[in-house]
Formats: sequence, structure tokens, C-alpha cells
Amino acid sequence: MKKLKEVLYVIERDVRMFLNHKILLFMRALWFIAQISLFGLIASRMVIIPNYFEYYAAGITVTILYSTAVFIGYDIYEEAEHGIVEYLLSLPISRRKLAVGRSIGGGLRSFIYVAPLMGIVLALIGVRNPLNFMLAFFSLFLFAFGVAGMSITIAMGIKSADKFDILMGALDALIVRLSTVMYPKVFMAQANLMYSELANINPLTFASELFRWGAGIEQYLTFGPLLSVLVIVLFFSLFTLIGIIFYERRLEGGGWQ
Amino acid sequence: MAPIIEIKNLTKKFGNLTAVDHLNLSIEEGEIFGLLGPNGAGKTTTLLMLTTVLKPSEGTAIVDGYDIRTAPDKARKLIGISFQDPKLLWVDTISDVLDWHAKVCGLSRQERKSRVEWALKELGLWDIRRKKIHALSGGTRKRIEVAKVLIQRPKIAIVDEPTAQIDVVGKHRIWNMIRALRDEGSTIILATNELYEADELSDRVGIMHKGKLLVCDSPEKLKDSIPGGDVVEVHTKKDVSRRAIEKMKNFDEIVEIAVIESNYLRIHLNRAEEAIPKIMEVLFNEKIQVSSVNVAQPSLDDVFLHYTGLTIEEAQRLAPAR
Repeated sequence: MKKLKEVLYVIERDVRMFLNHKILLFMRALWFIAQISLFGLIASRMVIIPNYFEYYAAGITVTILYSTAVFIGYDIYEEAEHGIVEYLLSLPISRRKLAVGRSIGGGLRSFIYVAPLMGIVLALIGVRNPLNFMLAFFSLFLFAFGVAGMSITIAMGIKSADKFDILMGALDALIVRLSTVMYPKVFMAQANLMYSELANINPLTFASELFRWGAGIEQYLTFGPLLSVLVIVLFFSLFTLIGIIFYERRLEGGGWQ
Repeated sequence: MAPIIEIKNLTKKFGNLTAVDHLNLSIEEGEIFGLLGPNGAGKTTTLLMLTTVLKPSEGTAIVDGYDIRTAPDKARKLIGISFQDPKLLWVDTISDVLDWHAKVCGLSRQERKSRVEWALKELGLWDIRRKKIHALSGGTRKRIEVAKVLIQRPKIAIVDEPTAQIDVVGKHRIWNMIRALRDEGSTIILATNELYEADELSDRVGIMHKGKLLVCDSPEKLKDSIPGGDVVEVHTKKDVSRRAIEKMKNFDEIVEIAVIESNYLRIHLNRAEEAIPKIMEVLFNEKIQVSSVNVAQPSLDDVFLHYTGLTIEEAQRLAPAR
């Protein structure tokens, strides 16, 4: 129990630290609302596919989940800048617990933040099958942890905050646009077959398709619900594990300096 | 009784720079051990290795029976550190920082509440406990950093320059709290470049310079160990010429002359009553008017000067940039 408590304290710190960024969180929520109430509403009148507004609203929810889970990487740089890493390393808890706590905290806090926004979207588009939605909800939960693990891995691998920022910006552009968060795969294939092939291996595609399936906007998933959930579980397991190992090794080896 | 910390050949290299060079040192349980030296002497690097934040390049340290290389988690559980530069995130409040620190150090809810409240009140932070770190002065941040270790009350408490940026009243309050922590059973390692602070608080002092431990003993014994039992401070109205200093150095009584400022000499000598008239004569012949002469007791400044050939200010200026 005591061992679990130490991990919980690390998680608690990450969640609190994130919620302390009030202006950032407010601006992010504003961006999200603008995307839905402006872009989503206007674009849905231009786009010929039916229910595009619902399609887009679900996709943008997954996008904001991704971008807030990535934020843990920025926190790692801020901590290094303020010497907090040394403080964390001096605490009477093991490096492993610290790494596990960071990885879980990074995912959990993004989910806590996005959950109310997700609630707004669900109020707009409705939930037709609650059981499906529970499965999708669980997958998005794991997806957030996977993204946090990925962000920790990249942050600990790159020593420069500027390089990390540029890389994450580029990665965000590619990973969001080469997924089905904003447009169906069939149109991606029409533009370039490679685009839809890349979307097929993009975790954001699986997460957004599951969300739409859970909300009842889409009846069929490219790979079926179980395989999609499995991909998300694999994504979560792989990057959470790599994130923990990378964080622990880099800290212990002085790679944070 | 075995020492609570035994440092054996501890070395840390950063590229070509050897920050700590084969350090050997024992620290006894229940003492306040002053680690004294200018910035860049290797004090903080030594402390970071002891707290297992940095890995040694060579050598090790045994902390209450645990090797920092092979059992870092166990060693770390015994140690609490107040860092030289406060390690605080700008968006946190004072209460957030201290409460979380107490939690993660394993204090029960009740202990946490009472110790955090006690530290906040003792350090004059109670009324501003809900303020965010970014709104606080350097001195206040430093007090928060010190509060962490006072709340934790670890078996071994490390305080790195605990009163830097803190006003005189605050300094004395923190010194008393450090003494109280020792009286409650903690062993204290005090790293400082303030010689008076080391002299005031420490049972024993180790002087570090360029990564090496030069000497280690009680402040009294260190002061007794320097040749030239008297110290004469001479202030003049104009700069003292090199020729005058060379003339004074020829006197048998004079052991060492430290030019603190161009018009301020600190002279280590024997038989002050015989030497002072000779010094005055030299200055008179060189047409250098004397504004004051003072016979003082040797201090740790003199000990540092004796072992390094430099004043601590000179050593600070010559410290390597990392």
C-alpha cells in the first residue's frame, strides 16, 4: 500500500501541475470550442458527406486528447530548466515508481481535462449505444497513456526544448492529418493511396474511429472494434513501457543534464 | 562508533573537468559538518552524489551502511536535501510545494499538517502560503527550500548554502532551526562559502578547493593550526606599495601578508607587540598614512588563506566555469 501511495503522489503532482496551467487550459478549451462551433459548423455545410459535423466533432475531441497528453514532454523540459529533476531524483522514492507515476500522470491528467469537453461533444452528437461507448471510452483512456509515454520517450531522447517543440509541431501536423480525425479514409485514398495506407497504421485513426463507433456515428470500423481496441492496447503498452524505461534510464544515467 | 557517512575516493568528472577529485571523508552521527569552499570547489557536486542524484565517476560513499552505488534507494531514504538553488515550479503555491514534499517523504496526514504549519510559521511564510512561487522574492524561495528539509527531519540533512539571499534576522532563525534539527537526532551537512556561518554552526569543518579536501577538523583546531597566532589588520589612506609589502615580509615575526584590498592588509604574525612598530615604521617611511590598526583572532578566512594561498573571494573569482 505504501509503495502504491508513492506512485499516487507522483501522479497527483502531475495532475495538479497540469491543472495549475489555467491560462493554457483555458486557451486550449477555447480553441476546441472554436474548432467545433466555427470550423465544424461551417465546414459541415460545404462537405457533401452526411453528418460531417458529428464526424468532425468526434475527431477533434481525439485530437485535443492527443495534444494534451503530449504536454507531459513540455513539463519535463520545464522541470529540467528549473532544476526540478534534481529535486525529484533526491526524493526517497525509487526511480521506477517515479517513472511509472509520470507516465500514468501524463495520461490521466489529459483525460481528466478532455472528459468534460468530450461530454459537450457527446451532448451535441448523442450516444446511441452506451455499451459500445464504454469500450471506446476505455480505449481513449489507454490511448492518452500511450501518447504520454510517447511524449516522455521523445522528451528524454532529445535534450533541447526547442528541438522537441519543433519536432512535436511537425509530428502533430503529420499524425493528425494522416489520420481519419478530419476526413474519411476513402477521400484520403483518392488523394493519394499512400495517405490512406499511413492512416491505417496511425493510432489516431484507431482512436477516432472507435470514438465515432462508440457514439454510433459510424457503424463499421476498418479493422472491426476488437482489432481496433487491440491496436490501442498495444500502442498503450508499448509506449508506456518504453516511456517508463527511457525516463528511468535517462534519469539514472544523468541523461537529463 | 562507525561514521554515518564514509566517503571513499569519491570522484566526479564532467568531460575534462574534475569537479570532485578522490575525496575521502568521514562524517560522524549527530554532528554538524561544515563543507566549506568557494563556488566551484566541488561541494554541491559532492552533495549531489551523496543524494544519488549524480553518479560518481569513481569511488563511492557508504551512508549508514548503504553504498550509494549499489543501494541508492536505501541511501536516499535516509537523506533530505535543501538545494543551493531553490527547486520550485513557478505555478505551484508555497503550501502545494511543502505539503507534497511532506507526503512523498512518508509523513502521516497529522504529522504533515502540524510540521508544514510549524515550518510556515517559523519561517514567516504562513501569511503568504497560498501565493504562487513566481510572485516570491529570491529570499522567500530560499526559505521554502530550507523548509522542505526541516519538515522532513531526515536522519541525514544536507543544507546547501541555507542562508544565501536571506536577511540577518532570517539567517539567525534558520541557524537555530538547523541546530534544533541536530538536537533532535539528525546529522547535518552544511555546505557554505560563508566562513562565518561555517564557524558559527559546525562541529567540524572540511575545506574543499578545486575538488579536493584540503583539511578537516574542528574550527578551533583549524584556527590553532595556522602558524602566526596573531592577525593584524591594517587600513591605510592610500594604496600600499609592493615595495612596502616586500619590506614587511623580511621581518622574522611576519608569516603571511594577505592583500584583501589595495589599502587593506591582513597580516599573520607572531609577537604582534614587536612587529606592529616595525610595520608602522615601514609604512611611515613609504609615506603611507595609516587609518586604523586592529589585532584580531584568526578566523576560518585565515585558515582558508593558509591552505590555499588565496582568500575565499580570490578563489571564487578563479573558480572554473562549468
